[in-house]
Amino acid sequence: MPEVKTSRFKSESVKALANDNIQRALGAPFAHFVDGRKSAIETDYTEESWDSMRDRAAATKAHTIERLDYYLDLVDKNVRRNGGHVHFANDAAHANQIVLDIARQNEVKTVIKSKSMVSEEMGINDVLEKNGIEPVETDLGEYIIQLAKETPFHLIAPAVHKTKGQVSDLFEKFLDSAPTDDIEKLCIIARDVLRDNFTKADMGISGANFIVAETGTVVLVTNEGNGRMTTSAPRIHVAISGMEKLLPSIEDVGLFLRLLPRSATGQRITSYNSFISGPRAGTDEDGPEEFHLILVDNGRLNLLKDETLREALSCIRCGACLNHCPVYRKVGGHAYGWVYPGPIGAIVSPMLTGLKEGKDLPYASTLCGSCRDVCPVKIDLPKLLLDLRHKVVKSGASTMPERLGIGQWHNAMKTRKKLEGKVRLGRLLQGLIARKGIIKRLPLPVVSGWTKSRDFPALAPRSFAEIWRDELSGGDRS
Amino acid sequence: MAVPVEDPNKEAFLERVRGALGRSTPIMVTPDHPTLKTTLPRHEEKVRTTKARTEARRPQNVARLETIATAAAWHVHRAADAEVAANIVAEIAATIHAKAVVRTAEDIFKRVDIDSTLRKRGVSPTVLASGRARRKTDLKDIAFKADLGVSGVEYAIAETGSCALFQRKGNARITTLAPPVLALVVEESQVLETLDDFFAIVRFQFLTNRGRLPNYYNFISGPSRTADIEQTLTIGVHGPGEVHMILVADA
Repeated sequence: MPEVKTSRFKSESVKALANDNIQRALGAPFAHFVDGRKSAIETDYTEESWDSMRDRAAATKAHTIERLDYYLDLVDKNVRRNGGHVHFANDAAHANQIVLDIARQNEVKTVIKSKSMVSEEMGINDVLEKNGIEPVETDLGEYIIQLAKETPFHLIAPAVHKTKGQVSDLFEKFLDSAPTDDIEKLCIIARDVLRDNFTKADMGISGANFIVAETGTVVLVTNEGNGRMTTSAPRIHVAISGMEKLLPSIEDVGLFLRLLPRSATGQRITSYNSFISGPRAGTDEDGPEEFHLILVDNGRLNLLKDETLREALSCIRCGACLNHCPVYRKVGGHAYGWVYPGPIGAIVSPMLTGLKEGKDLPYASTLCGSCRDVCPVKIDLPKLLLDLRHKVVKSGASTMPERLGIGQWHNAMKTRKKLEGKVRLGRLLQGLIARKGIIKRLPLPVVSGWTKSRDFPALAPRSFAEIWRDELSGGDRS
Repeated sequence: MAVPVEDPNKEAFLERVRGALGRSTPIMVTPDHPTLKTTLPRHEEKVRTTKARTEARRPQNVARLETIATAAAWHVHRAADAEVAANIVAEIAATIHAKAVVRTAEDIFKRVDIDSTLRKRGVSPTVLASGRARRKTDLKDIAFKADLGVSGVEYAIAETGSCALFQRKGNARITTLAPPVLALVVEESQVLETLDDFFAIVRFQFLTNRGRLPNYYNFISGPSRTADIEQTLTIGVHGPGEVHMILVADA
């Protein structure tokens, strides 16, 4: 499993804010995502309202997750009936071992990969390399960050933080290509290198966007064609997926294929969808001779056990909550410190890797609710973030000044009399620091940060309640 | 083929999942989910109405397919008959100066005779099918060197501008993936209205005769594309960058 750096959220955020490339990348490209999604939803599909589709999708996901054991059993039986192998992996190390075993049995030397977030959780590339097997990412964005030895910046645009200049430098360094600022040329350089790997690789590793239980079918959603290539060209295909990605029936797929690309890139549909239920049949012309599906837990049980947080398992990884999050849009993907960034990452990462390290992540939100509004499966992200904050406090991970401050606040708010008493005290004390109704600097620990970039309004000489009591209520205070 | 064995870890794994959900016993009956809990006669009826509606609305569906596919960067061609369709394919080959053309061995090419049309222009297409190009590696090598790939389709879907292709004998998937230019020949009778229509038919095939449903099928809904560098749209990464859809009117 890759290093968990969720405890460094604050310091990494500060670094990201000072990084011009990251700040530039978080600007225009994301406006593109936001506008694309908006126009795809507003102008496109009319047979059923967007909201009604989201309701149905949320219900389908909730239904499946509440009966996950049933559907896991069903998918296992059906994939095997189709001639494929099914593996149940408890954690990242277990899943890595399964992949290694398959690779060793088949004397695999090169593995090509199409995008899989679970494989990022596993850190499979490092494991393969250590065992003398060369892993090659084939999604262009993933390939770029593989060369740069980084983790994905975004769920669906992993290298969005890299400029074309940086990509050109990487290609020059690792592929001996001539420097260029022509994006099309950069794509061709990558394509030609990857094409060689498509012909020589013995094993292809893919993720799964959806897995249909009844037919035992892995559904892949891609734009570049690398997903088709990875699952068609090599002798062995291994699909790795979180155990929660199931849908009951192939007839549920249409709905999700309408929701996912529109939410992710604003497309009506992506260029390629593959539906893979097993290895090639005897009379098929091509395709893998062996098919493996690895269903991974890796901490998902922590989410499943929790009746509130379970909802996060409905996520279809479209990235819309990232694109619309005012926090993600400032700090970017790496600050979150693990595989999943943004609002959904702030819930999933701490639950999969430890709440103690990730205790700051649930606070990486203004609770503005945009994430909930754009979520295609209506995950109530602010509610889950609040619940997780509650858990952080319950676990004793909050700081002493915070507990003290909130304790005082709680006390002051208990009765009107207490509140008014505190207000009078505050008015007295602020005389030392307030000028013309404004406090420029709060001379207290922790809260002083607030006035670094803005003024704090001083308490008014008289509160509304006082004015009302003395002048406006007409003296009729029965 | 023998059914692969069950993972010895499966039962313990499912036990933990069940425990997390607060249950101690497995669910034994099919859960009450609208797309799952339907009887075969009811599903058969659904597919029958779907097909009747598709039939009745064919001109509208074909027009919608054309509009949506064009918006997704397909080059859509309408052919009044098979001969015109074959000529369109030859024309595409000529425009891109194709020297090597590969095609699948589907029935459509008995009707749309692209072989002789292409041969008249000096190009002889290679059929990527067993017995003609022997080993799988041969198929890959030939396909990667080809300038144009031509195939028929199983269905086309108007809602998304997609072509659905089924893997089977005579239908190598590399044909539609490796060459930089792709031409798919679609008969108007293959055009469905929505994604749901497609999946209803697929599920019917699964329920009635699992064996007819291939282990691999796929949609092609436009040219290969990426926006992974600076969110700038670039066409033609791993798959074909130029895609043609030739709609042939019913015979």
